[in-house]
Amino acid sequence: MKRVLSALFLAAFATALGFGQAKVVATEWQIPFLNCLTGAIANIGEYLEWGAERAAFEINQAGGIAGKPVKVVGVDTALDPQKGSVEMARLVKDSLVALGPVPEPVIMAAMPIAVENGMMSITATTSLEYAQKFFPWTVSWFPPTEERLGMLVAAWGKQFPDMKNIVQFVEPYGPWPGMADAHAKGLEGAGKRMLPKVEVPTDAVTFGPLAVKALNQKPDGIVFVCNAEKVGKLIKELKNRGWKRMDHLLVFSSADAPELYATGGADVNGVEIYNYIDPNLNTPRWNAFKDAYAKDHAGNLPPSLSTNYYDAVYMVKQAIEATGVTGDPAKLMDERKKIADYLANVKSFHGIMFNWDMKDGIPTNKPTFIFKIQDAKKIMVLEVKP
Amino acid sequence: MPLPLYYYLSITAVNILMSWALYLPYRVGHLHFITVANMAISGYTAGFLVLNLHVPFGWALLCGFLLGGLIGFVVSLFIGDAPTFAVVIVGFTFIFISRTIIENLSIIGGTMGMFGLPNIGGSPSAHRWIVLAILYAFVLAAGFLIYRFDHSCLGRAASAVFVDPDLAASLGVNRKKLGMLVQTVSCTIAGGCGVLYGFIYKSFHLDFFTFALVGIFMTVIFVGGYTTQWGTVVAAPILYGVPLLLPPVVQSWRIVLYGAALILVLVLKPEGFMTPRFVRSVETFLSGSRRRRNTSLKEVS
Repeated sequence: MKRVLSALFLAAFATALGFGQAKVVATEWQIPFLNCLTGAIANIGEYLEWGAERAAFEINQAGGIAGKPVKVVGVDTALDPQKGSVEMARLVKDSLVALGPVPEPVIMAAMPIAVENGMMSITATTSLEYAQKFFPWTVSWFPPTEERLGMLVAAWGKQFPDMKNIVQFVEPYGPWPGMADAHAKGLEGAGKRMLPKVEVPTDAVTFGPLAVKALNQKPDGIVFVCNAEKVGKLIKELKNRGWKRMDHLLVFSSADAPELYATGGADVNGVEIYNYIDPNLNTPRWNAFKDAYAKDHAGNLPPSLSTNYYDAVYMVKQAIEATGVTGDPAKLMDERKKIADYLANVKSFHGIMFNWDMKDGIPTNKPTFIFKIQDAKKIMVLEVKP
Repeated sequence: MPLPLYYYLSITAVNILMSWALYLPYRVGHLHFITVANMAISGYTAGFLVLNLHVPFGWALLCGFLLGGLIGFVVSLFIGDAPTFAVVIVGFTFIFISRTIIENLSIIGGTMGMFGLPNIGGSPSAHRWIVLAILYAFVLAAGFLIYRFDHSCLGRAASAVFVDPDLAASLGVNRKKLGMLVQTVSCTIAGGCGVLYGFIYKSFHLDFFTFALVGIFMTVIFVGGYTTQWGTVVAAPILYGVPLLLPPVVQSWRIVLYGAALILVLVLKPEGFMTPRFVRSVETFLSGSRRRRNTSLKEVS
C-alpha cells in the first residue's frame, strides 16, 4: 500500500512539475518569455516584460496574430541557471517560439536546450557574440560589436580634436571587455591614443581610488564600460576631483539605464552616451509607447532596452503571418523551422524606432546614436549609420 | 526521458553532492566554501581539455576530480586545523581569486564563458543518460563513503572535534590530519561536480559559480540537518523541486521562503529536520527490528 501511495505521489509530483503531457492551447498564441522577474536585475526584467506585453496588447487590439489573440507568458528564471534550464526544458516540449532567456548566464545554460530541440528563442538583449553561438535558433538584436562600436566611438572621438589620450573604465562582465576592445580599436583608428584601462571590479563599492587611478594617467577623454550605477558613481568621483569636460566622457549603451540617471543626478549633465534607440523620435507609435510606459511607471521614460522584446513580439507576429504557421501541434517542428528561417532573414521589419533587415540572424542596417545627457533626457548629437 | 525531469534529476544530484562536500568538512566544524571555487577551476579545466585538446570526457572528468583533490589537499596543509572563521575566509578568498583568474584567461573564454561543450556519447539522448548515470553512481559512491566515514572511528572523532576540538585533541584525535582528510575529500567531490555541472549545461560561465550556490548548499544542509548525511538527501530535491511546483506569483517569493525556512529551522530545530535520532528511528522501523528488539527486551525483563 505504501509503495502504491509513494508511486501515486511521485506521479502527481512529476505531473505538477510539467514532466507529463502538457495541454495544448490552440485558441491563442502563447509566447513564453524566460525573463529575470526576481533577483538582482528584476527591475530590468520588469520593463523587458512590460515591452513584450505592451506589444501583445496592441496586437490583440488590432485583431491578434492571424486572427488569434496572443499572450506573453512570463517565466521567471530568477537569474539562476539551475532554474532557467528546467524552465527551458519545459518550454521546448510544445512551444512554437520563445523570448529570452535573460541574462547571459541563463542564456548559456538554457539556450543549448532550445538549439537541441530546434526551437527559436529570441535573445534580444545580448550581444551578437553570445547570440551567434546559438544560431540558427536565435537571432542577434545587435550588429557585430567590433565593427559597429569601433565606427560609433570613432565618430564620438572625431568631435573633439583636442582629445588625444583616452582611458576606459571596464567592468569584467560578459561581453563588456570585448566591447571595450572594440572602442579601443575604433579610437586608435581615429588617431587617439588609448591609455591602460582601469578595471572596475564587479563588487566595487568605493570608486574614488578608481577615479584617481584613471586621472593619474592624465586622460583627455574617458569611456565607461560598466554598469549604470557604477558609471554614475564614477562620474561623481571624477567631478569631485575637478573633471570639467563633460562631453569628453562617453557612456556605453548597456549603462543607459535608470540607475545612471538616479545615481548620477545633475552630475551626468553634459556627458555623452551611445545607444541603439532614439527616445526623441516623434511618431504616433513611439509616443503611445512612451505614454503607456509613463502611465505604468510613475511618469518615467522608457529605458533603452524596453523596446527590444516589444519589437521581438511583433517580429514573431510577422513571421507567423508571413509563413502561414498554424500552431498545429502536429506540425510543431516544421513550423518552428519556418519561423527561425523567416526571422533570420527578415527584411524591412517595422520596429518601433526604425525599419531594419536581418541577414543570417544579424541586423545589417540598424542605426546607432550618440546623445548628450541633460537633466535625465538625451539630446541627439550624432546618428551613425553603417 | 522527459527533458525537465533530466534537468531536475541531474541538478538535484549536483546539489546533493555539493551539499555533502560542505557537510563533510562541517563534521569537524569547517565551513569549506573553497568547494565552489573548486567546481569552477575543475570545470573550466575539464572544459578546456575537452574542447581545445580533444581529451576524452572520461579523462577530463578524472582530471577534474584530481585537480579538486590536489587543491583541497594543498590548502588543507595550511588550514586543516584552522578555526571555522579562518576556513570561511579562505573559501571566500578562493572564490574571488578563481573568478579573477578565469575572467582574465581568454583561452577559456574569459568573461564571455565557454560555449559548445560536446555531447558525451555522440547524441543528446546518450549524453543525458551518461551524465545521469555518472552523477547517480557518484552520489551512491560518495554517499557510501560518507556513510562509512560517519559510522567509523574517524566519524566519531569528527563528532568529538565538532563538539570540543581541545577535548578531542586531548583524547588523541589528530585534528589536523582529520581536517585535511575531510577537506581533501570534499574538494575532490567538488572538482568532479564542477565538471559534470558544466556538461549538464554544455557550457561554462563564471556566474554558474557564485555565492548563490553557497546559499543553496547551506540552506540544504541546515534545513535538512547538518548532523547526518541524510538531511541533504531529503532537502536537496525538495528545496529545488518545490519552488518549481509553486505558482509563478509564489515563486517570486521563493528566496524569502528559503530564508524563512532557514530561520525557522535554526530557531525551532537547530539540528535540522533529519537528526541522528530520527535516522535511527527510521532505520529501525524499516529494518523491522523494533519488534524483535521489543521482544528481546521483554525476555530480558
